[in-house]
Formats: sequence, C-alpha cells, structure tokens
Amino acid sequence: MVNRSTFLFAIWLSFGSWAYAVVSADEILVASDAIRNPGRPFSVTVTLTEFRAGKQVDTNTLISYSRTQQEGGQFSSLIRFVLPARDAGKLMLKNGSDMWFYDPVSKASVRLSPQQRLIGQAANGDVATVNLARDYKAAMAGEEEIKDGDGQSRKTYKLTLAASATGVTYSNIEMWVDTQNSRPIKARFFAESGRLLKTAYYRKYQLQLGAERPTETVIIDGLNPQSVTIMRFSDYVARAIPESWMQRDFLPRFQPE
Amino acid sequence: MNCKSVLDSCFAVSVAFVFAASAHAADDADALKLEGAPIEAVAASARDTRFFLEAVVGNSSQRYRLGGLDIGRVSLDFSQTFRVGTALRFFLSDRVDHIYPDVVGADATVNSLREAYVSWQGDGGGTVVEFGRINLRYGPAYGYNPTDFFRDGSLRTLTTANPFALRENRLGSVMLRAQRLWAEGSLSFALSPKLASVPSRDGWGLDLGSTNNKDRALLALGMKVAETANIQLLAFKANGLSTTIGASLTALLSDATTVQAEWSHGSEPDLLSRARGLSAPSTARNRFAGGVTYTTSGKLSITAEYEYNGFALSKSNAAALAQITPMGQVAYQVEAQRLQDLAARQAILVYLSQKDFLTKNLDVTAFVRANLNDASKLVWMELRRHWTNFDLALQWQQTLGRATSEYGVLPDRRVVQLLGIYYF
Repeated sequence: MVNRSTFLFAIWLSFGSWAYAVVSADEILVASDAIRNPGRPFSVTVTLTEFRAGKQVDTNTLISYSRTQQEGGQFSSLIRFVLPARDAGKLMLKNGSDMWFYDPVSKASVRLSPQQRLIGQAANGDVATVNLARDYKAAMAGEEEIKDGDGQSRKTYKLTLAASATGVTYSNIEMWVDTQNSRPIKARFFAESGRLLKTAYYRKYQLQLGAERPTETVIIDGLNPQSVTIMRFSDYVARAIPESWMQRDFLPRFQPE
Repeated sequence: MNCKSVLDSCFAVSVAFVFAASAHAADDADALKLEGAPIEAVAASARDTRFFLEAVVGNSSQRYRLGGLDIGRVSLDFSQTFRVGTALRFFLSDRVDHIYPDVVGADATVNSLREAYVSWQGDGGGTVVEFGRINLRYGPAYGYNPTDFFRDGSLRTLTTANPFALRENRLGSVMLRAQRLWAEGSLSFALSPKLASVPSRDGWGLDLGSTNNKDRALLALGMKVAETANIQLLAFKANGLSTTIGASLTALLSDATTVQAEWSHGSEPDLLSRARGLSAPSTARNRFAGGVTYTTSGKLSITAEYEYNGFALSKSNAAALAQITPMGQVAYQVEAQRLQDLAARQAILVYLSQKDFLTKNLDVTAFVRANLNDASKLVWMELRRHWTNFDLALQWQQTLGRATSEYGVLPDRRVVQLLGIYYF
C-alpha cells in the first residue's frame, strides 16, 4: 500500500512538475515577447549597421510599422526603407507568411518567399520584432548565468523553442531570459537541419512606450561569425495602424505622416 | 577500436567542442564590442524625395552598318511627395533623358512627366480618392503583364531591355481613381478620359496623346483567398472595344518558391492589323503569363516564365511576313513595343538575380527572352556595385537569331554600356 501510494505520489509529482515547467516556460516566453514588442500598434525607426571582420560595410535606416493581427495574434509589419537614398520609399510587408516587396518607382508588388526575404536587410527584423509565443512551443532547459550584451552577468532561464506553426523562418530557438524581469538577453536561431543561423543579444534597455525595452540588438551570423549586424531602435511611437494597411493592395497607397 | 583510442577520440571531441564553444564565445565578445552607426535624424521631407542622376556610355555593334555605334545617355530622375495636413498628398514624378544619338524624328532630350496627382485618404487609409496623372499598374508576372491595362503608349524612351527597369520610366494616365480597402481585400475603380488624339513628338510635351487617346475604365477586386495566396479580378473597358476581363494569382508554394500567373480575355483587332493601321474586325483571344520563382540559400533567385499572346502573329504568319515585307515586320515590332505587348505568340523568360555576388554589395542580374516561334533570343546581363550614394553598373546585351526573326531583325547586335548613378 505504501509502495503504491509512493508510486502514485511520484507520478503526480513528476506530472505536476512537468505541467508546471511547460506552463512557466510558455509564460516566460509571453512575458519576454511583451518586452520586445509593445502591446499596441506602433512605429519604430531601425538603424542597421553591418560589419565584416570588425569593419563597417553597410548602413541602412528603415521605419517599421507593426500591429498585432486580429486573428492569430502574430505581429504584422510594414517596413519602409529610408536610407540609403537608392532604397528610399521601398516597402516590405510581412503579414504572417504573406510577404511582399514594393518599389514605388516601378509600381511593382512582388511576392516574397521566406528564403527571398532572408536576402534583404529586413531579414533580421524577426529576430527583433516577432511574437515567438504564437509560433513556438517553449520548454524549460534550466537556469544559467550568462553575460548579457552589455557585459553584465545575468541569471537566466534557458528556454528551448520548437516551431509549432508552418512557414516560420527558424525551426528551433534557444532563448535566455532574465529570471528577475523576463527581459530577453540572448537567443540562438537554428535551421531545420540544426545549423546555427544567427545569435542575437538584446541590450541597452531603455524606457520606451511604457516599458524597459532593448534599444539595440546585436546579431551574429551563424555561418560566418565575422558578419555582425547591429540594429538600433529609436523613435518608438504609438499610432493607429489599421489592419487594412497590411495587404498588397495598400502598398501603393502607403504614405504615413 | 581499443579503450585508449576510444578515450583519445572522446578527448579529441571534448577538446573540439570546448574549443568551438570558446571560439563562439570569443566571436560573441568581439561582436559585442562593436558600436552601431549613429542614428541619423531623417527629416520627413527628406524621406519624401527621391532624386538621382544617371550617366551612360557604351557601344553598340550594328547589324546594318559597319563598325560600332557610340551611344550615351544622361538622365535626371525626380520624385517628391508633398503633404497637406494628414489626409491630403500631392505626388510629382518626372524624368528627363538626353539620348545620344537621337532617334530619327524625335527630340534628343525627352521629358517624361510620369505622375502628378493629388491623393486623399480617409478612414485611416480605408478609402482613397486620387486625381491626376497616375501610373496605375497591375500584374505580378515578370516579363509580360496581360492585366496591366494601362501599359500601352506609356514609354516615351526605351533606356533598357530589362523589363523591371523599363517600368521605372513609364508615363501614368490622367484618371480619377477611387479605392476602398478592408482587412483582406480592396475594390478600386479608375476612369481615364480621352484628352488628345495623337502622340506628341515634342520632347517637353505632356504627351497625353500617348496615354489618354481614348476613354477607358477599370474595375479591380483584390482578395486574399488563403494564408499564402492572393488573386485579382479585373474588368477593363476602352471606348470602341468590348469589355476585357482579367485575373491574376500569386501564391507561396514553399519556403523558397513562389508562383505568379495572370490572364486576360478580350476582343480586339490582331497586332499586325494594328501595326498596319488597318480596320480589321475584332476577334476574342487570350493573353497569359505564368512563372515560378525559386530562391536558393545562396541568395540566387531564378524565375522561369511562360508568356502567350493570342493577338500576336502565329509562327507561320510571322515567318511569311518576314519573307514578304521586312519593313512590315519592323513596323510590327515597333507597334508591339509601343503597346508594351508580346510580339511573339509564345515566349519564355528566364530571369536570375544574385545579391552579394562574390563580395558584399555586388549584384548580378541576367535574363534570357526567347521567342518560341522563331527561336530568336535576347540575352542581357548586368554587374552592379553599390556604394552609399553611388552605383556603378556594367551591362551587356546580345540578340541572337535569324535575320528574319524577332530579335535577329533588330539593328543592335550587341550593346555594352557602363552606367554611373548618383543618388542625392
């Protein structure tokens, strides 16, 4: 009898702790998403600086207009390229798997595949602004103390994320989240083959739209660690962004204030 | 394998793993020392302006004369958005091309007022009303757009054979346009009146005779029909012709593959009759273009497209025309070019673009257009290097085919030119 009770208790305990771990990992991920992404429609200016072997090789500026989809809860973003002058006015739309590139000079709207999107600078956008909890299932992989992007030691939860939706760019993600405040500290993004695609550090937290948010993301290429992109986020503005903006037919009409 | 070798292997793997981990850590530490470029304050006015100067020099190897022909061009390209309050915008887009040597019967300097229109947006962008000269373009295909109903007569100058770049020069048509958008679709209506009868030869003229030489109306419905598929349904009416209907589709087939197709069906005189200025009876025919784009992980995008024009000459008629009246064939090509229509009954396009070819900021673009009726081909390739405000490009173009074929009849056998573009 005692043995049977002990056995049942052990099962309950293991099931209970498993359930707790699953729920808490997902909750941590949701809280982490909420820090990177304001919970209302907003625009933000993004300055991308690209380095090769420590040397600056490119700089781009774009403005991202984002809102949460009414269905599914994923972020949809309309990106307007500002600099360099060659690309000024060009647009990229990402609404789930619906992705478009628009050139105002040729008036051409071109549908993009996820692979095509990885070519451009905006490819790094989903490292910075994406609702991971919607597309990935999180599991707790333990606690680790790591150095954050500003060189400080942080006690973190290590989460492993497996894609639960189709059409996502990354098959698996490892994420380190501050145990104190759910701030994302670091993430590693993997292809389906297991190849490391990118490592991202979220740093320089500042008060933006009512919360401390990372204003800089350092992205290190997985294949070539000498290729580094720094994304700087500035001018966060809460604004009305109707869902009707997030479609191909609106691209030729897009002229925000 | 003995225990020692197993242990040695384990040790080697462990050392390699630790070494790789520490290498990663060192790479990360180096990366985190980097500082991003300062955030540039970009004035709203600057974001609304696009202005560049393009200069071209080159040489064309000719079919009908000995030696090469030196060619050159200088172009100024300007676009500006003016904002009045939150709902009103005024768009101006203009381009001036000075071409050497000038085309016989045309001015050497040609101004193209591409767009000049006022736009009002209400309901947070849900309702749009626009009036003026508007470049209204439809069609997702790469090389031929049967649903691009306002394409005819829209090019004053031909500065490239690249179908993508060609679209940058085209004139808009004067029209009143209204659009209503909702979450996953839109309905739009455009009304374009006749304002002039014949094209203008004045290089500085508005050339309304090219873009507004008949009354036209277009109704277009765009819808997202699946998570990764969109369609457009169109109905177009031009004065003197019955209604032409059209449809287009774009869809995502896989993480690396997209498909695009468009079709139109209408009744009009065939292309040869239009080229000859004959009042031939209208017949109902189809136009179609459909292709697939695949992108590799190495940043190479490849598009293969099939194109069909039921109004173009059939294979046997095209061959007969070329034999009987070579000048008639030239007139046929010129008319197809003016209408931005497909001269061949059937054609294919293979289009490649490679970003960061061998080195950062060096792009390669190339395409082959082939007339399936006469097997003639146009091959075009560009190597383009980007700097912050400057592009330098080398272009090479070759036409291949019999003397009586679509591309074999063109005077330019081979064109090599160097472009410099400065963005202000």
